[in-house]
Formats: sequence, structure tokens, C-alpha cells
Amino acid sequence: MATHRSCALWSCCGRRWSRVMRCCRLPGFRSSWPRGPLGARHLSQEKQATETHFGFETVSDKEKGGKGDIAFRFLNYVRAQHKRKQKKQLRAQQNVSWEEIAKKYHNEEDPLGGSRVVVCDINKEMLKIGKQKARAQGHKAGLAWVLGDAEELPFDDDKFDVYSIAFGIRNVTHIDQALQEAHRVLKPGGRFLCLEFSQVNNPLISRLYDLYSFQVIPVLGEVIAGDWKSYQYLVESIRQFPSQEEFKEMIEDAGFEKVTYESLTSGIVAIHSGFKL
Amino acid sequence: MATLLRSALRPLRPLGGRRGPAADVPLRGVRHGAGLLYPGHIPTSPLQKALLAAGSAGMSLYNPYRHDMVAVLGETTGHRALKGLRDQMRKDPEGAEILQERPRISLSTLDLDKLRSLPEGSLGQEYLRFLDVNELLCHKFQQAWTLCVSQGRPRGCQRHYIPCPRTPLLRVSPDTRAPTRFVDDEELAYVIQRYREVHDMLHTLLGMPTNILGEIVVKWFEAVQTGLPMCILGALFGPIRLSAQSLQVLVSELIPWAVQNGRRAPCVLNLYYERRWEQPLLALREELGITEPPTVHVRGPA
Repeated sequence: MATHRSCALWSCCGRRWSRVMRCCRLPGFRSSWPRGPLGARHLSQEKQATETHFGFETVSDKEKGGKGDIAFRFLNYVRAQHKRKQKKQLRAQQNVSWEEIAKKYHNEEDPLGGSRVVVCDINKEMLKIGKQKARAQGHKAGLAWVLGDAEELPFDDDKFDVYSIAFGIRNVTHIDQALQEAHRVLKPGGRFLCLEFSQVNNPLISRLYDLYSFQVIPVLGEVIAGDWKSYQYLVESIRQFPSQEEFKEMIEDAGFEKVTYESLTSGIVAIHSGFKL
Repeated sequence: MATLLRSALRPLRPLGGRRGPAADVPLRGVRHGAGLLYPGHIPTSPLQKALLAAGSAGMSLYNPYRHDMVAVLGETTGHRALKGLRDQMRKDPEGAEILQERPRISLSTLDLDKLRSLPEGSLGQEYLRFLDVNELLCHKFQQAWTLCVSQGRPRGCQRHYIPCPRTPLLRVSPDTRAPTRFVDDEELAYVIQRYREVHDMLHTLLGMPTNILGEIVVKWFEAVQTGLPMCILGALFGPIRLSAQSLQVLVSELIPWAVQNGRRAPCVLNLYYERRWEQPLLALREELGITEPPTVHVRGPA
């Protein structure tokens, strides 16, 4: 019974100590213990009190061990925390996210990782803005800026591993020519990637999208940029662009193989990919 | 943007699966070619008008220098008031003549030399002085003025037309009036255009400078005269950005004067200003019942 009592008395938390103390209050107890944050003090006070009142020799022995006991508990706790952290890290290392992998490969001196990129646009202003953005993002070398027409690229045949175009092919007058040029400048094994607005496949979302495009976007263009006409043209040109399947056929006509597409946001935007084999 | 504008509107592709415009006309609104009532007209659905009104109201509060937003607000909300104005003009003989002949006040149609040669105190002279004092005239006329504005400090031009950074001059001139776009009636489009062009004449008539205080006074006058929601909103919300002192002057002196005179005067759109350049300004004021304007400090009070 004594041991049971002592275990109950020596619970870790200081607060529980005081509660336990209150439970054990016996008639004749008069001290008000200083409720310190550490249990140790309680112990020493308690030791005297219980000794005088209960004469718990075993308690006093156990107390001496109890002081050490708390230290060990604390050490164990710290070690367990450390182990938990290590386990978490190991788990994270097994489920690495793409971002973390990319970060590991990222090189401050050479953010492109040894590759060279040619940025080509028909509009000088766009190139200027692109240069500013690249500088702001920390690119110092590896980028070339070329003024050129997508329908007639100023590059030789079989030069590039990847040709990517984002929201640009819609503005090209002859898309098939642009695709043929893409095929020409790519190396065998090279990949063509195109991100562009496309047709929405879900009828409900299509109606909402139409409503937003034609009613809201030109208004926003007028209010924010003072330009209604450009944004009206923008939404109309989006509707004029071929659907995912049609565009896929056009890419295949240009000579690409293994052509696939992925619709994003139920088709508002689609990524087409093809290989020159 | 240049790439967008560069490619012409592409013809409908012959491949199948094209969603034609017919199925979506209620949502898409009328495309250009059909439904254009006047050059520059942009047909808009009621939803678009509502969105434009809300957006332009917010934007003009946020950035008071967006005059195009004030104009859009006027066009989208003023249908009823414009009809009232047009009826008033029809009833008056001079106003009916204006509606018939459709004169336009612009720096290119104004013969500035002739106006300069007019006697002192005439409407033409005072108008010219108003343009000068408020830095709206370059001695090389309209073309140089736009040069001044775009370059900030033109080479070879004797005058500097950069607004002083401390005075919030609202730079308006006869030619910064954008053409009407969102009014769905050709005659009403002219009425609102005329109203905008007459705005500078009102400054001259009321003797108000083009700083914020002066603009608010003119707006109150116009609100009482025309009843356009845009004028009413501008009159009510314009003073928001004023200091307490200017507000006090505004409320105690200027607004009561403007409202009184606005009520008393006949419709100012009925005046054929282009024929009244020689008329002395004071005589014109008397004709309209406009009393001596209180002085407004030109140096920026806001």
C-alpha cells in the first residue's frame, strides 16, 4: 500500500502534485506549500511533513531516488523527441515532393542546370519585359533573347531538345506553319509542348465560362486598363481556337508523334505534347 | 498586346466542331457590324452596364485622375437624365439648333487666333484665359499640347506643362474628352458629348479653376442643372478627399452659391457657345442669372 501511495504521490506534473497533496491533507497539516514549478521542491517539503506525520522511511528513500527519477524522465523525454524528429525526417525523405527534389537540383550559380534557353518573340517589348523578369529571378547566364516570327524561325534544323510555347500559338496567323517550324527546329527525340486556351468540355462550366468571358472580362479591361476592345478581342480569339482533339490532329499533321493532351480546369486551358521521332 | 492586335480577326476555321456565335448571342452580346449606332459605339448588355457602372464608380473614387472612368459612369447611368436633357434642348430654339447642327468644341475646330483677337472680357477671351491659366494651352496648339503631356517636358517649348506635384490639378482640356461609347442612342450620345464639351465653358462661366475645389463646385452646379447620376455622385463623393478647411469653405460658401445659381439658370446646354464668343462674359452671366462667383484659391487646397 505504501508503494501505491508513493506512486500516486510522485506523478510528474507539478500541478498534479498539488492536487495530490490536497487529497492527502490530513488533519493537523498546517503548512501552505510554496507551489513551485518543479516537483522537487514539493518533494522536499512533503518529505519533512510526511516524515513527521507518517514517518514514511521508504518515502524518504524513494524521494532521493525520485529526484533522480525526474531527471531521467526528462532525459528520456528529450531522447524520445529527438527520435521522433529523426523518424519524421526519414519519412519525409521517402515521400519527397517535387518541390524538394527541384530544390536539391537547384544551383544558385546556374539555375538552368547546364541547359541553355533561347527565348523568342515577335514583339520587342515582350522580350524587354522578359529580360527584366529573368534578371529579377536571378538568371544571369544561359538565356538568349531572339526577335523572331514563329512562322519563320531564325534557327537551323534539328537544334533544340524542347520547344515550348505558352499562350502564344493562339496569336499566330498560320498555326500550321508555326507547328511545322517547331518540327523543323527540334532535334529527333525532341519534345513539343504547348499551353493554350482550349474548349471547355463540361456544359455547365462552359455556360459560366462564357458568361464570365463575355460579360465580365471586357468590363474589367475597361475599368482597370481602359481598354475594352483588346479584351473583347482576347475572349473572341479564345473561342476561335481549335478544340483539344482538333489541335492534336494539327500537331500530328505537322509530323509529331505520340501526341497527347491534358486539359486543366475542365478544359479552359490544355497542355499538348508531341515528339519528333 | 501588339501581338494580339497584329493578327487580324481570323476567319472561322473550316474544321468541324466550331461553336458558332449564334448559339451564344444572348450571353455574348452583339458583335461589331451589327447594332453600331455611331462610330465608337460598343453595344453592351444590361449586366455589362451594371458592372461598368459599379466598376467605374469604384475606380473613379480610388483614382480621381481616371477621367475616362467618370465618363463611363456618366454614360452607363445617365440614360433617364439624358432623355430629360434632350427634351429640354428640343423645347428651346437655340437648343434645337444645337441638336440639329451638332457643333463640337475642340482645339482643332477652335480658331485660337481669332479668339485672341476678341475684345477683353468677351467669352472667347475669357475662355482662352481659362485654358491658359490652367495650363491647358501650349503656344503650339493642340498637337504640341499632346506632346507636352506625353513627354512631360517638351524640347523647344517655352512653357512647361507639368502639373505642380503639390497642386492636384485635374488636367482636362477640350480634347481629352473621349468619344461616347456606351450610350445606346445616337442622339443621346451627342447630348452627353455636348455636356462634356460644355464643362469647360461652365468653368469659365462660373469662374472656377480646375483644381479639386473648383471641379466640385462645377459638379454641384451640373448636378442641379442636368440631374445626371454621375454629377450627383461626383458632387457627393468628390469632397471626400478634401482637408477640413477646404470642406468648410466648400459647405459654407461654394455649394450654396452653386446650387442657387444652378436652380436659377436655364439649361446651360441650350447655349450655342460657338456663336457667342464675342458676347461679354458679364453680360452672359447676367443673362443666365449667375451672380458674382466667390473666389477660390488656385493653390492646391486638398
